[in-house]
Amino acid sequence: MRSLTVHLRILIALCMIIGVSVTAYQIYVLGIPVTAEETDNLWNIDAKVEFRANSREPVKLQMFVPPLNQDYVSLNESFISNNYGVSVNRSDDNRRVTWSARRASGKQTLYYRLVMTKRYSGEQAKAKGPIYRETLPIEGAEKIAAEALLAPIRQHSADVETFISEAIKRVNNTADDNVRLLLGGDNSSERKADVIDVLLSIAHVPMQRLHTIRLQADIAQSPELWLRSFNGEKWLYFNPQSGEQGLPNDRMIWWLGDEPLLNIEGGNQASVTFTLNNSEMNAIRLAQLSNENTDASFLDYSLYGLPLQTQQTYQVMIMIPLGVMVILILRNLGGLQTLGTFTPVLIALAFRETQLGFGIILFTIITTLGLSLRSYLEHLKLQMLPRLSVVLTFVVVLIAVISLFSHKLGLERGLSVALFPMVILTMTIERLSITWEERGGNHAFKVAIGTLFAASLAHYLMSISELAYFIFTFPGVLLIMVAFMLAMGRYRGYRLTELFRFKAFLKD
Amino acid sequence: MLGFGLIKTWRELSAKGIMGINRRNADYVLKYNKRSLYPLVDDKILTKERAIEAGINVPEMYGVISTEKEIEKLDKIIGDRTDFVIKPAMGAGGDGILVIADRFEDRYKTVSGKIISHEEIEYQISSILTGLYSLGGSRDRALIEYRVTPDPLFKSISYEGVPDIRVIVLMGYPIMAMLRLPTRQSGGKANLHQGAIGVGVDLATGITLQGTWLNNIINKHPDTSNLVAGVQLPDWDGFMRLASGCYELCGLGYIGVDMVLDQEKGPLILELNARPGLNIQIANNAGLTLRAHAVEHHIADLKRKGITESVEERMRFSQNLFASSLPQ
Repeated sequence: MRSLTVHLRILIALCMIIGVSVTAYQIYVLGIPVTAEETDNLWNIDAKVEFRANSREPVKLQMFVPPLNQDYVSLNESFISNNYGVSVNRSDDNRRVTWSARRASGKQTLYYRLVMTKRYSGEQAKAKGPIYRETLPIEGAEKIAAEALLAPIRQHSADVETFISEAIKRVNNTADDNVRLLLGGDNSSERKADVIDVLLSIAHVPMQRLHTIRLQADIAQSPELWLRSFNGEKWLYFNPQSGEQGLPNDRMIWWLGDEPLLNIEGGNQASVTFTLNNSEMNAIRLAQLSNENTDASFLDYSLYGLPLQTQQTYQVMIMIPLGVMVILILRNLGGLQTLGTFTPVLIALAFRETQLGFGIILFTIITTLGLSLRSYLEHLKLQMLPRLSVVLTFVVVLIAVISLFSHKLGLERGLSVALFPMVILTMTIERLSITWEERGGNHAFKVAIGTLFAASLAHYLMSISELAYFIFTFPGVLLIMVAFMLAMGRYRGYRLTELFRFKAFLKD
Repeated sequence: MLGFGLIKTWRELSAKGIMGINRRNADYVLKYNKRSLYPLVDDKILTKERAIEAGINVPEMYGVISTEKEIEKLDKIIGDRTDFVIKPAMGAGGDGILVIADRFEDRYKTVSGKIISHEEIEYQISSILTGLYSLGGSRDRALIEYRVTPDPLFKSISYEGVPDIRVIVLMGYPIMAMLRLPTRQSGGKANLHQGAIGVGVDLATGITLQGTWLNNIINKHPDTSNLVAGVQLPDWDGFMRLASGCYELCGLGYIGVDMVLDQEKGPLILELNARPGLNIQIANNAGLTLRAHAVEHHIADLKRKGITESVEERMRFSQNLFASSLPQ
């Protein structure tokens, strides 16, 4: 007995641990949303390219598009262009689209559209980058100015990170003569980035330019220049204008490197305008969508991997253990008397189709009429099997009649009664009438009410959509339930009703 | 404040060692009663056969009817006996029992005075066979047996029907006893949930204690207004011996033994119950858990010492330990 108890404890602990850790893994590591209402931002980015084509000349336009290997995942990407051939190629960390046409003339408009969202999974590819580079060639006054600037930067910095931010700070101090000389009167961030690049190269600190888009709806914007450097562990991001460190969450890298966004042959006056807007989308739906477009297959082996129709069945089925647990609690902890163990759960399932209030009314009517038929048959002294068959047939006829009447009366709800499981009803009637005979009408009534109560409660809990979503998405919860059920298997305490039943002991 | 009151009730009940259904099932029924032995107690015919083999007194069995065809044999089984009982072998809660007290020309008279025909008896047997009264509705057999005539002593405190004595036996040690008296409400049946009265019995002396009726404590029989306490049951040691011996009879460790006192034949075993009810605790104003624990300790002690006790020793042990402390 002792070893059995230890065995059981281990089993309970095991179920609990596995259940909790699987669920926690899904929530915290895979980032699966906890409620169905949780929504994620869905970004719709349009890049509109306009240019004037030179007539009688082939047109070739190249544009960078987001590399999509970062924190964002594309749900849909399209290149909208008339009469243009499109090809996308990947080079280094960039992606580039090439539109080409043999002949075009006049004003041309091309669209690139990207629908994307933040990536769910937390797994990140390990960053790698250069940590050393050669000095850029500079000469004369510029060299002296650069070295003059570098001396205090070296003094004020401890590592790559502080070195770069100090360099940016210095370069942005336009009162400094050395800086002014290096900038040559151009205060744009491109120019500043060049100067910073020079400064860093003298110190052999690698630096890379990157161009970002701000994820903000309805503002006119052009790609913003940022700098980044690899410190051996991760990329450090800097804004060359403000010296701000770290890429804000709402930035998305469009392309890396020094090349311009657009590159056109056979055309002129090319320009790009970006339009962004965002919409919200059910998080799990979004996860499914993104799943199709990425290799992150964390939903493949969940119940969402099933065909949609099957999913709906399972969404009902997976709630049955919850209903059973409700009955278990009501019976073994509460001491509620019900007809059989699982009859209330089956009735609760039937309530799904009929709605609760209507279901209770139908259940009551059919059971009452069935009981009176049963007691009439009792007088005829029939054997059990023929009697059960008659009751079942009666129940079918009754259901048909109720459906017909309610249809004629325009109560469409009445039609749902057909889905009330007839065998369950028949068995309910049979058991109820046996209880009636054995234990008397009072007891039978008590049991019937208990059954209806348990069924209603089970139905209520089983139809909470948040709960259904949660259990369906995190089936590990079922193991936690099993752990609870196992523990209940050895519960020795009193049932709630026993506290009243044994009240007589308290009188003295 | 309701929750607080319930916690208090809980504490008091567990301090008194009152056994709840969950504990009974987990610690006693599931632990001591092997499922494979259940048919022995569920089927009264099997119980009876076992008891006869073991030399334990039971009401004499006149015959068994197990198919519709055999109903024809009824006349032969009854012979010229004027009183007998027809029972479902696997009946529960005293349902389906027909007690014939007398014959009246070609008809039969039940114990409550109703006259019924031979056909009605045959229909009753047929109902029994189809499983109307059996647990779970499976096919059943009908048992025709000796009609017990209760000792006249019970007449004074009982209302028709046959009072019986229920003893809870744990591993052969009687731990609690009660006398069950039918009432008008219970329709002559001795089951507490049908409205019969339970009266606690002191294990040592066989003197009745207080009564319980529908979960309440009572002192008088509701139909006869006679005091139920302080009655000395005759041949009490005989009952205790019979009950203690049932462990060997069926092998189940936790049972309720139902016995009657026949005017002529003395204590007889009626049936055994593998899931005895808990209201016996109210009738005795004592908790089963404490007593069961005492017996379990004793058994563990004996096991260490390698002793096995005889029926007589077990009976004495229980009588010494569980003598009632209630004022008489």
